[in-house]
Amino acid sequence: MDVFVSRSGGLAGLRLVWHVHVDEQPDRDDWYLLIRQVPWEQVPPVPPEPDRYVYRIRCEPHEATLAERQLTGPWRRLVDRVQETSEPERARPANGSDRGLKRPATPPGRDA
Amino acid sequence: MTRMPRPSPHPSRHAAIVPPYLLARIAASDDPRFDVAADAARRSLVRDWSMLEWRITGEPPTFVIHDHAARDERPAAAPGTGPRPDRRISDAENDDVLPGRLVRREGQPDTGDRAVDEAYDGLGDTFEMFARVFARDSIDDAGMPLEATVHFGDHYDNAFWDGERMVFGDGDGEIFRSFTSSLSVVGHELAHGVTERTARLRYQGQSGALNEHVSDVFGALVEQYSMGQDAESATWLIGEGVFTDAVEGRAIRSMIEPGTAYDDDVLGRDPQPAHFDRYIDTDEDNGGVHLNSGIPNRAFALAAVELGGFAWEHAGRVWYDVLTSGRLRPTSDFRAFASEIVRAANDRYGATSREARAIAAGWAEVGLGVPPAP
Repeated sequence: MDVFVSRSGGLAGLRLVWHVHVDEQPDRDDWYLLIRQVPWEQVPPVPPEPDRYVYRIRCEPHEATLAERQLTGPWRRLVDRVQETSEPERARPANGSDRGLKRPATPPGRDA
Repeated sequence: MTRMPRPSPHPSRHAAIVPPYLLARIAASDDPRFDVAADAARRSLVRDWSMLEWRITGEPPTFVIHDHAARDERPAAAPGTGPRPDRRISDAENDDVLPGRLVRREGQPDTGDRAVDEAYDGLGDTFEMFARVFARDSIDDAGMPLEATVHFGDHYDNAFWDGERMVFGDGDGEIFRSFTSSLSVVGHELAHGVTERTARLRYQGQSGALNEHVSDVFGALVEQYSMGQDAESATWLIGEGVFTDAVEGRAIRSMIEPGTAYDDDVLGRDPQPAHFDRYIDTDEDNGGVHLNSGIPNRAFALAAVELGGFAWEHAGRVWYDVLTSGRLRPTSDFRAFASEIVRAANDRYGATSREARAIAAGWAEVGLGVPPAP
């Protein structure tokens, strides 16, 4: 199983994508539990806030788009964990209907 | 920071309508009723002051010095002499809870915390431009306090407007520095508040890119206004100085040459399109609002540079006219916006004026030419 987190927007409009192969993780059972806790079908639409980030989170068969301030509870824990586990890749803007999360990205991010 | 512009290498090409002696009298006026006019006159006069006259007199006109001194003495200025800002800067102390702890109120001295003081000064400059050039009293035109939070989040790489306040991160230190370090960024965020209280452009797709565009326009104008910079000498960059030295880039956007602000091994190349033919259709970023804003940005910058002089005095006024006209809808697209801008330019300056022609040419250059009215 794979989890993708794509963060777009922000004042600079830069897009970052994080990707975790859950089955390769030593704590994969914890990952499965967390992914089950996420309320995938309960993301109410909210008015966008100028220059805030937009998160698209995908884990087949689920996909959800959240405003930055909707990242609370299990959503926050999942995104934090994905960001702690993998290095982000910087990606060109995804065009049209392309969901954008599998596109080859530009070289990996600068090491932290 | 100085108000006195360096003489332009391209002196104004058009004849002034108001004779210089009258401008000088208006400029020298201390009458608070003429605050906006005096300011505009000072700027017109400085703009039209030829390099020859500068050399003959050996010093800039006295009202410029007077103006500069008045600015330095601002805290002691008499109350009730026009709109005054009411700034409140809070410190999130690297947490992500808003508003944070209030650390500087209006009139209080520098705190020594760079982000706090940059936000305070930047909001002051932005307030001053809106008040003196556009006669607008704060975000809501009714004296609304200007609230900002700095040191938001942990190495937070962003700044935003949340509907009530401007919020600034410190940056990660590797790619981004503090977002308060750029006056165009502070102006950009405050302008989001103005758009929210006026045209209410929906933050999605083309209307969202126009919302971003309006913020870039006023962000750039604040920077130019605070430096007394004319359109030809302006950088037209948004966020100059927010990248660290490690990044191959000048700023996060270029209004005059979208797509050229950075080209870096890690960040990639600035993806902004400069022409409507290359509009980016995407689901990300609320429909590419930070990408497609390059298209109207270029139309504005081209018109302003073509007209020369101070951009807030011509193109800026037309854009502000449209923003506050009540004629835009929340879902207005690029063509509707361009059409309103051309109409407003015709209304303000006349359809055959050089202002109207330069503005129409700007839109045509980015593929959004407006057909003449029947």
